[in-house]
Amino acid sequence: MTVLSLNDVTKNFGETEIIRGVSLAIEKGEKHAIIGPNGAGKSTLFHLISGLYNVTSGSIRFKDQEIQNKQPYEINRLGVARSFQVTNIFARMNVFENVRCALLWSSGYKYSFWHLLGRQKELNEKTMHVLEQIGLQKKALFPAGELAYAHQRALELGIAIASGAEIIMLDEPVAGMSHSEAEGAVELIRRITEGKTLIMVEHDMNIVFDVADKISVLVYGKVIASDRPENIRANAQVQESYLGEVVTSA
Amino acid sequence: MAILKKSAVWIGYLAALLALPQFFDSVLAVSIFNQMAIAIVFGLSYNMLLGQGGMLSFGHAVYFGLGGFLAVHALLMIEVETVYFSIIWIPLVGGFIGLLAALFIGTFSTHKAGTVFAMISLGIGELLAASSLIFVSFFGGEAGVSGDRTFGPPFFGIEWFQNLEIYYLAVAWVFIATVFMYLFTQTPAGKMANAVRDNPERAEFIGYSARKVRYITFCAAGLFAGVAGGLFALNYEFITEENLNAATSGRVLLSAYIGGLGYFIGPIVGAVILTLMNSLLSNYSDLWMLYLGIMFLLTVMFLPRGFAGFIMMHQLAWVRGKIKSLLVPYLLTGIPSLLFLISVVGLIELSHTDEAELYYFGLSFNSTAAMDFILIAIVALGSLLSIRRSLPQLRAAWEAANEIPESVDEESTS
Repeated sequence: MTVLSLNDVTKNFGETEIIRGVSLAIEKGEKHAIIGPNGAGKSTLFHLISGLYNVTSGSIRFKDQEIQNKQPYEINRLGVARSFQVTNIFARMNVFENVRCALLWSSGYKYSFWHLLGRQKELNEKTMHVLEQIGLQKKALFPAGELAYAHQRALELGIAIASGAEIIMLDEPVAGMSHSEAEGAVELIRRITEGKTLIMVEHDMNIVFDVADKISVLVYGKVIASDRPENIRANAQVQESYLGEVVTSA
Repeated sequence: MAILKKSAVWIGYLAALLALPQFFDSVLAVSIFNQMAIAIVFGLSYNMLLGQGGMLSFGHAVYFGLGGFLAVHALLMIEVETVYFSIIWIPLVGGFIGLLAALFIGTFSTHKAGTVFAMISLGIGELLAASSLIFVSFFGGEAGVSGDRTFGPPFFGIEWFQNLEIYYLAVAWVFIATVFMYLFTQTPAGKMANAVRDNPERAEFIGYSARKVRYITFCAAGLFAGVAGGLFALNYEFITEENLNAATSGRVLLSAYIGGLGYFIGPIVGAVILTLMNSLLSNYSDLWMLYLGIMFLLTVMFLPRGFAGFIMMHQLAWVRGKIKSLLVPYLLTGIPSLLFLISVVGLIELSHTDEAELYYFGLSFNSTAAMDFILIAIVALGSLLSIRRSLPQLRAAWEAANEIPESVDEESTS
């Protein structure tokens, strides 16, 4: 079953075409990686799906409704959650509150000013459970802005997955990590996206081929190939335009 | 038992408010306490905007003033018996008007935080201050409007002739308002206000419209500013354009900042400090505004988290029982600092005075004699040198008291 589909999506910034007609279909439970050289439009594509940018033309469907040009919070409420390439957390709040805030909407609290959060036992337990999943339970009361980088990245993931969204979108989740940190992060990603649909932008090819069961290659705003990892590896066009140099150098 | 422990702070707060007039019962003292009560509610409501929601407003007095004006008009209506209710409910009238104003103005001012919000708040403030001089029948022009709080049904025999009676009424409202403003910080809307303050973009990706979150905080702040305005109307029985103009908005910003924006109690501390300076210092010196300005500058430069932040800085040392080791270094730096402050203020006062003789700290100085200036300057210089000598000790003691032992550090990074 296709949960997310892009149909001839384009995005222009002024005269410049960044996304030049992308069509993609992502199946339920798929682990889908988007790769491509710098400036290919991977992050822009993420911003279009998650609602940060409006599309210039084309449509994006989540299940049976069109979501292009909806507000980010509307798309999130439907069940599409994302993380960011640059750490994007609530720096002055502590780790526990960061995750609890990410759980509020999906737990049905909306804009309530009549529930006292301290008394919401179930919500607080769910928050602790997410903290355990991302391995930050000991840092619960630590100010998020003062965490070590790898921990901030884990929290970034935690905020994205907390709501239990069906589709998790991760934008370079291991960027800037050391090799051992990245290994830990991959384990974490595997664990927390189990049974969910994952869309991931990543530069590290080892991780991509390790995690993904489908890969799309984006070059200059166009998808030049979308296939299973082994076919992507063997694809001559991909080799030529992108993969060759990266794989041999990695 | 657990409930008692949890509410100990609140019981202490209420007890302190109630006990104040037992220690100071002069007419002046009670009038200062009333001002303090009003300033606390107003300051806390301002902090909802800036500290909690990250919205810098230069026009918060609008909601205070509108609440106050309607409250005085309500008093007038009670007087002519158009309506019939006890004046204890007047702060609610103010709050309701503050809320209405915020509900309307918030629809277009909360789209963005930052500069846009600040500029709109400034514009609205100026607009209202200007129209208050134009719509004379409602705002009373420069003279303002005045009422009389002694009409309406008495409350258990109290007819509100005394300022002290108003103080106890104010305490009830201050307490209720403080509790509700605190509880607001513990709700989903209150926590999301923090989240939107820190990172509006990410808030939208966890399902919340940043604008709507800001709008709710903005309305709550307007409500409580209106309550403060209602208390003002009860205490002074009159209100003028001055109470909703930029000067009043500026003062509440100052008080919240000096108290400490990041802390719930910050504005309470700030309200107490500013009210005291406002009413006591002005008795001693015409230059009190200058001192207030200097204090604001020094706070911004050296205590960016305000007085509440300064107190909270000592939490770690306190928890680890090392606060005592700071006492002597504090005294060694504190005493010369105080001396420096006193001598500099002395110099300023001596050069400002029109009289030949100035009485200062029980001593008599001659403002025409160069010798007296030099004498005070020597004291100032001497104390400054002494501070320079003792400051490194204080710094070292501070670091020793707050040092994180290595074992703990390892655990926290693993």
